[in-house]
Amino acid sequence: MEGTSGGFRKELVGKLLQLHFKDDKTKVSGDALRLMAELLKIFVVAAIRSVRQAQAEDLALVDVDQLEKVLPQLLLDF
Amino acid sequence: MGCEHLEGIQAKHVARCPARGRRDVRAPFCRRGDGLRTWVRRGPCGPGAHPSRRLKAAVHYTVGCLCEEVASDREIRFSKQTIAAISELTFRQCENFAKDLEMFARHAKRSTINTEDVKLLARRSNSLLKYITEKSEELAQFNSEQRAKKKKKLEEENQKPVEPAEAAAAKKDNSSL
Repeated sequence: MEGTSGGFRKELVGKLLQLHFKDDKTKVSGDALRLMAELLKIFVVAAIRSVRQAQAEDLALVDVDQLEKVLPQLLLDF
Repeated sequence: MGCEHLEGIQAKHVARCPARGRRDVRAPFCRRGDGLRTWVRRGPCGPGAHPSRRLKAAVHYTVGCLCEEVASDREIRFSKQTIAAISELTFRQCENFAKDLEMFARHAKRSTINTEDVKLLARRSNSLLKYITEKSEELAQFNSEQRAKKKKKLEEENQKPVEPAEAAAAKKDNSSL
């Protein structure tokens, strides 16, 4: 469906969520899994992009310092 | 019954008690990555070390792929620590997501999480909500298209034996005209 190659696999997303459910009976529908995979992909891409933008200088290497700067806003958006 | 080291653990596999080497007691064990067996305590203590470690590695790999995709556009590289930090961040955020989703579904008296719950999760940022809503509509359309295709295929398969009879009937009508 998408043109991009990167992304989270449905099974991975399912297992990641199952890890934290309090009730054993809780399940996730297939469509919801696909949407969650999209959401997680956006989360990661947002983190990557805002880190890149936080680069004031034209560094070739992006380090953790930039991530620290953008973390608060990123978490507020999600 | 049996070894005190395995008390309280529900037994599923036959194994050797680490302290006494007894084979008569069944207990859960698992293989670590290096091939050695180690005792795992079952119970409400949350996820065992193994499932989450493997999952974290899988997340790390996916995050790395996405970083490479973005980095290749602008010819910049991401340090290993950055990729590790983002994947740890993603992993932890999943916990929040999962708990919220479960609560939403339970609030709606459901035990299965559906797309409405995911949309509620994305409510904090307008552009995010818009994107997710669009994706969910695309999915719904895709699903209905798939269903229509399947239905059509089934109908075609059902009609095949009837076709020659229909063609013969049509010929008859034409000749009478």
